[in-house]
Amino acid sequence: MAIKVENLSYSYEQPFGEKVGALKNVSFSIKAGDFAGVMGHTGCGKTTLLQLLAGLRLPTGGRVYVNGEEINAKGYDRSGLRQRIGVVFQYPEYQLFATTVEKDVAFGLKHSGLSRQEVIARVQWALETMGFDFAKVRNQSPLALSGGEKRRVAIAGVLARKPEILIFDEPVAGLDPHGRENFLRFVKEMNQAGTTIIMASHNMEALAGYTKHLLVLEEGRLIDSGATREVFLRLQQRNNWAFGQTKAQRIATLLAEGNLALSPAVVTYDDLLSALKRELTGGGKG
Amino acid sequence: MKTLPAGQYIPGHSFLHQLDARTKILCLFLLIATVIGALSLWSYALVLAVIALLILVSRLPVRPAVAPVRGIYRFLLIVFLMNALFFGGEEVLASWGIFQLSREGIRQGFRVVGNVLLILILGNLLTMTTLPTQVTTALESLIKPLKFIGVPTEDVAIIISIAIQFIPTLVEETELIKMAQIARGARFESKKLLERAASFIPLVVPVFISAFRRADELALAMEARGYRNAKNRTRRKKEPLAPHDYCALAVCAFICLVQFLLLRNLV
Repeated sequence: MAIKVENLSYSYEQPFGEKVGALKNVSFSIKAGDFAGVMGHTGCGKTTLLQLLAGLRLPTGGRVYVNGEEINAKGYDRSGLRQRIGVVFQYPEYQLFATTVEKDVAFGLKHSGLSRQEVIARVQWALETMGFDFAKVRNQSPLALSGGEKRRVAIAGVLARKPEILIFDEPVAGLDPHGRENFLRFVKEMNQAGTTIIMASHNMEALAGYTKHLLVLEEGRLIDSGATREVFLRLQQRNNWAFGQTKAQRIATLLAEGNLALSPAVVTYDDLLSALKRELTGGGKG
Repeated sequence: MKTLPAGQYIPGHSFLHQLDARTKILCLFLLIATVIGALSLWSYALVLAVIALLILVSRLPVRPAVAPVRGIYRFLLIVFLMNALFFGGEEVLASWGIFQLSREGIRQGFRVVGNVLLILILGNLLTMTTLPTQVTTALESLIKPLKFIGVPTEDVAIIISIAIQFIPTLVEETELIKMAQIARGARFESKKLLERAASFIPLVVPVFISAFRRADELALAMEARGYRNAKNRTRRKKEPLAPHDYCALAVCAFICLVQFLLLRNLV
């Protein structure tokens, strides 16, 4: 499913009538099967953008098209859209409410028209995909699980609907490094299996290592977009934007200051490693 | 478009804005007494004149100032009917079984509905011209006398101010959780009453859990910063009432007196 956004704007109305623009004239498109990242400081409009893409807020200006159809047009099948777009909010564990894990994950399938067996099979699949032993966990209270487990149950609840587009808002916030890598690898697998992924994150390593394209937001404006590697290299040129750099990029900059310029330009740790190897084995310039 | 909730503070520099919150609360009580004590048309005319004057003085837009009227018309209708049909009275106009429509009943209905509306508008004027924090500090000092009958007023004050402080946070959180549940297929707009009530479980449970979690975290944070009990806390600023506060109080007390001594018995 492809998404296209034209001149999208959103402003929050404050009391006393003043308006605070959260998004200003944003236009871009995301192809089906893409893994797109959204980068930006806190408060730059990432979350608002994701909510608009999922049709959860009405834009104050501009249009969102999913598969060529405008999602805020009159008569558009919004519940069909929700079926096809899954949203994993920041701290998704806060949305758990049911008495058992199974019921909570099955909540999103209530209006899906699936039979009971099919629902159970879906729930089992979703929980197992998130690394649970279905038989063991199905009758537990979701609220009694650990923080990380809760989050995985919540994500299973979104996966169970088999969305064609998955939207993640800061999914790795609060995960330990091991959990982070595992989670990102899982998202990558989902993407390789054909799901379109849109992921907002602060984590430069996550964005650099996993996304194919990047959207960069600053104060509600789209200031750059394109293939991930190119965007990172462009951001490096803007030295006033210290935020959009990976650790590998910073290391490479330090090395360059110490007269060890690596080429080609480094964005990820993998880039850094291979460039260093080439340098050490003498395969490079020197 | 989201409309502002009724009674939301609107900043300004009018006379009403500048009055001390304590004065405004006391005046509110005096005026509420005036409303409740109103019996004759003359006394209602007085109350209406006072409210019109207050809105004028507050320089607030009229529409939000009388906004609570719109939100609860159904409730008011029921209140009216209950009074009109059950009050009884001599002059029965019509009766169906246990229901009896009487002239007195209708009068009583109008009176009760009118009183509710007028009091709501008065309360609305208070909250629209006073910051919530000012209201809580004012309440805090106004309930102080209750200490003598053993009420832990400092603790009550802290409880009130924390509760008010958390309203925006909880509203925001409710919004987010609602969105998350809608994103995974929740439907909050079902027409059937039972279904609709049940559809709020996925919203209410997480909001409650989160409120308790926040309460827990806040308690820990307060303890970590050395909070022991409210008793020994002192205010940073002590502001005595200004002359215009005493004037406002005197005027309200006068209105109240006029109501009870003069107009009440006029027909």
